[in-house]
Amino acid sequence: MPLNTIPNKGLTSRGYPSDRLVTPLIINGDMSVAQRGTSSSSVSGNGYFASDRFKNIISSLGTWTVSQSTDVPTGQGFVTSLKMDCTTADASPSASDNNVVAQIIEGQNAQLLKKGTSNAESVTLSFWVKSNKTGTYICELYDVDNTRQISQAYTISSSNTWEKKTLSYVGDTTGTLDNDNGASLQLNFFLATGSDRSSGTLSTTWTSVTNANRAVGQVNLADSTSNEWYVTGVQLEVGEFDSTTIPSFPFESYTSNLTKCSRYYTEINQNGANGWRTFPGRISGTTDVENIGVTLPTFLRTGNPTVTKSGSCVAQVWDENGYHATSAGGGTFSILTDSGNSTPYLHCKQTGFTGLHNEGAGNISFVLGTPSIAVDAEL
Amino acid sequence: MDIQEVHYYYTTDIENNSVRTHYRIIETNGDESTLRIEGAESNRHYQEIQEWVAAGNTITDPGE
Repeated sequence: MPLNTIPNKGLTSRGYPSDRLVTPLIINGDMSVAQRGTSSSSVSGNGYFASDRFKNIISSLGTWTVSQSTDVPTGQGFVTSLKMDCTTADASPSASDNNVVAQIIEGQNAQLLKKGTSNAESVTLSFWVKSNKTGTYICELYDVDNTRQISQAYTISSSNTWEKKTLSYVGDTTGTLDNDNGASLQLNFFLATGSDRSSGTLSTTWTSVTNANRAVGQVNLADSTSNEWYVTGVQLEVGEFDSTTIPSFPFESYTSNLTKCSRYYTEINQNGANGWRTFPGRISGTTDVENIGVTLPTFLRTGNPTVTKSGSCVAQVWDENGYHATSAGGGTFSILTDSGNSTPYLHCKQTGFTGLHNEGAGNISFVLGTPSIAVDAEL
Repeated sequence: MDIQEVHYYYTTDIENNSVRTHYRIIETNGDESTLRIEGAESNRHYQEIQEWVAAGNTITDPGE
């Protein structure tokens, strides 16, 4: 019995929603965490737009509204799904065009697959999907470290009806995954693609990548602005299962899910009208505050995230000279170079003040007035 | 990330020397991002900067 299916009876007797241990492979499979916002329109390129950890990889294949939807399969316990809504169609993709919803997995979280060894594990992907566009769709596992892949097709049979899909992938005895925090394994839900990735024969066994064999038969979800695609309940289980034996979805508490997502992205936001976020800092000169100690919800994937300050963010300081504030979006917020790689903590610096009391002592506060600082360590 | 401008950004080291340490990215919506140069290869936005440069854009160096 694979580790992830060991009944966790002690926990269930205490009211936990899951009856087994949770694999580390897919995070936020129920789409419940959407820290960046619940909807983003005019999406036509790469990025994270709604549900955390699910990345849109779009190359010249339609324009979309990506949202966290409340349209879910009835009676399954889900309350959210990821929705792709086509707003500008492309009925004739060019050869290199592509459109994928992906989750990228750290190598150190995928070591349990024993990939590249004689004991390589099979995995089974399960998810709920719904679309008005019926036909063949492709799900791919892509080994980033060794440029290998395997694909499986599924069929959406009934228009606008939630269907549960279960796809098995054999283990790969070739190509070990790096045991680090980089991208190693990528789950790709193809939504549309050009002939570069679909003109060959679908590769249903692990092999070195031949692009033409990756998404053969994939329908073009981008061919009409009437098209929508929903997904939720994404789980990737170790072992081979079918639709009757696949373990139940590993529901987690919202906090548990949010914490996992926060390893890759978190925001430092104002909490209500006067809910400023205050951090300790040290005034340096008359314009800068250094050593701002920003605590994070959890350990970031990397100690060098991108920190993005909203154009409306105002930084404020009180010192012996009184109150000081930057203009909206004024100054620069950066992580100091001595920030560690493995701490839930960042050392930061904010410039753009005037008249600070150099090396001022006492209780110096760094306050974010309006949202926000985004800390992005995504893959 | 919809990049409008990229600048090098300088901070002072422990001996008060001005050192080029970050990329400073101005997005078209007015947001500003920073990313440390050291170890940037592990950051997905580093690749976006490289693609932006490959498209013919230039990183501005304001100097020390």
